[in-house]
Parts: sequence; structure tokens; C-alpha cells
Amino acid sequence: MYRVSSDELIQGQAQELRRGTVVLACLALLETPQYGYALLETLDRAGVTVDGNTLYPLLRRLEKQGLLISEWNTDETRPRKFYRISPEGAEVREGLLREWRDLVAAIARLTEETP
Amino acid sequence: MSTDTLTERYVREVVKRLPADQRDDVADELRATIADTVDAHGGDPAAAEHAVLTDMGDPIRLAARYADRPVALIGPVFYPAYIRLLKLLLSMVLPVVTVLMMTLEFFDGGDIGQVIGAGVGAALSVGAQMIAWLTVVFALVDRAGGRDAYKPTEWTPDDLPELRATDDNRTTVIAAAVWNLVLAGLIVWQHTAPTRLGGLRVEVMHPDLWSGMVWPMLAGLVGMAIVEVLRIAARRWTYGLATAYSAAGLVFALPLAWVLYRREFFNPEFLALFNEEFTVMDEFYTVAAIGVLAVVVAEILRRFMAAHRS
Repeated sequence: MYRVSSDELIQGQAQELRRGTVVLACLALLETPQYGYALLETLDRAGVTVDGNTLYPLLRRLEKQGLLISEWNTDETRPRKFYRISPEGAEVREGLLREWRDLVAAIARLTEETP
Repeated sequence: MSTDTLTERYVREVVKRLPADQRDDVADELRATIADTVDAHGGDPAAAEHAVLTDMGDPIRLAARYADRPVALIGPVFYPAYIRLLKLLLSMVLPVVTVLMMTLEFFDGGDIGQVIGAGVGAALSVGAQMIAWLTVVFALVDRAGGRDAYKPTEWTPDDLPELRATDDNRTTVIAAAVWNLVLAGLIVWQHTAPTRLGGLRVEVMHPDLWSGMVWPMLAGLVGMAIVEVLRIAARRWTYGLATAYSAAGLVFALPLAWVLYRREFFNPEFLALFNEEFTVMDEFYTVAAIGVLAVVVAEILRRFMAAHRS
């Protein structure tokens, strides 16, 4: 019988866990305006790995939802689209942070109870 | 900027799948992003470009993400309804249509080979049409924003098919429906294409019936077939269905018993040809009339008992 190694299982489940955190990480980072690739790098360095083909469409979706504001910067030779958080986005970020902390606390409680 | 680089070709493949008002903006951003990534990649620019685009993946998938479009023909919102309807069409409507086509071919004077051929042809072509059109309609609705507007009828546990009633009797029910339709077909057929007897073409049933009693009989047969089909959809006999069946059954049986009893069922010419050597006994008609009533009443009772059990 074919069996998935536990490493593969962890990887797959971890990806599920991370999926939702990318939005929160973007909202947290975009207090200062950034363009797509720079944001990807920053996230990567911070330990939030995300593929470009996921992040770039995500940024546009958040903009469409009014959570981000974008602006073209044409000062440099290569024009880039900069994103920053909107007031509405800041509100959503606070709400998501609360959820996140509750979740961390809940998991901590659970893992303490069953050592 | 060169117009035929890999990047340009990639960007065009992506944006041509997006709404027109977003194309230029997404294209500009995508170009800048790919260029940034290629710069960071280092090494041979051509190889870097190739690697970066490989990472970005299939343009169709990326475009679907930009447009927030499903990369599935029929998304999860519509899938249950789609699969239920497809099953219903293929397991119930298709057999009925197939039998109908075979019956028509038969009345058209086809031999056994032609009848089977008509059945296979109908099953294949009508089946393919059902699958194709249902899929096209669902895929279009899914894309036309139906996803957001559609509130699927809330599923409740009451929708679960009953274990006991999961249709062991299904075949019997289908057979009953087909039998009713075949009987109706035979009645029409003996009128439109009369039997050959001794080189003469005569109708078996009394021709005068066509200006009277034959119509409720036909209506009753078709009615019973319809109730049987509804019974398959409902997966069990309900009192409503059983009542409908008795109405259709009586509409069929009472006129039939009546004309049998009055000896107006057979065409006198047919009897004359058929009975060259012996005559039908008078008792036959009475027994036949009572027999018809008995069978139909028994069938009706059987259905009410089935409804009572479930």
C-alpha cells in the first residue's frame, strides 16, 4: 500500500495552516508602501513563504476589496505598482490579529492539557 | 522593450483571459514583477527568465487567480446539483426515451435488428446530448456569476435516501412503466397498422372504440407510466402517488372492463377471420372483464401497501 511519509504530511498540513496567514502578513507589512516583488522578499525573509503566482493576484484582490490602496511609482526606470494598507484594511488587520491571538492561545491551552 | 520575448508572450497569454479594463494594468505590473524576479535570480538572463516563468506556472491558472475564477469546469457550489440532475437524466429520462424510440421503430415496421439499432443509437446520441448540454449550461451559470447569486436549497438529513427503499424494486417499477407504454403502443399500432390475417388487413379492436372508450384507456396507461416514473424519483410509494396510480388505473380498467363485458372489444371482422372454426364463448367476456378489474385493483392495493410500509 502506498503511504505518504510523515514529512510530506506535515508539509501538506503546514501549507494549509499558512494559507490564511498570508493575508494577515501582507496587511501587517504594508503599513509602508511596497511593490510586489519586494513584498515577496520581505515575507520570505520573515519566514512566510508564498509563491509569486499566489501573492500577486492576492494583492489585487485585497485592493479590489478596499483593504489596500495602490499607486504607480514612475520615478525609477522601471515603473512599479506600490501597495499600502487602507483605513479599512487596518480595521480588518486588527480583527484578524485578535483571531490569530485567540487561536494561538487556544492551541497553547490544548497542548498543555495533553502533554 | 522587445515585443517577442518569453515574458511578453507569457504576459499576453495571461491578460488576454482577463476583463479588458484590467489588462493593461495587470500587464504592466506583471512585466515589472517578472523583471524584478529575473534580476534577483542572477546568472544568464535568458535562463533566468525561463526559470522565473516556469515558477509562475501555467498562464491559464494565473489568469484564473487574477480574475478570481474557478479552475474547474463546474465549481463546488454547483457540483451537487449538477451530479444529481445528471444521474436523474441518465437513469430515468434516457431509458424512457430509448424505449420510446425503439417502440416507434417497431411500429414503423422495423425488424428486430432495426429496433435494437434504434435503441442503441438513441441511447448513445441522446445520452451524449444530455451530458453535453447539462455540462455546458452548468459551466456557463457557474461563470456568469451564478455562484454568488445561487443559494442551493439547504440540504437536510431528510433528503437522505432510505436504506430499505434504495430501490431494490427499481427494475420492477421501470418494467411496469415500460409495460404500460408498450400496451398503449400496441393499441395504437393495431389501429394504424392493422394485422394481416389471411392476406386481409384488419384491426383487432373494434374500430368504433376510437370514437369513444379507447381514449380513456390510453390516457390511463400513459398516466400509470408517468406515476411509475415519479415513483422512481420519489424512491418509494407515497399515499399521493398510490392515489394518482389508482386514478390512472381505474381510468384504464373501467372502460376496458365495460367494453369487454358488452362484447364491444373485438373487431367483428377480426373475430370472423379468427374464429373460422370455433367461436369465442360468451363466458370469456365476463371472465376477461372481471380479470382486468381484479388485476388492476390488486396492483392498486399493492402500491397502497408499499406506501403504508415506507
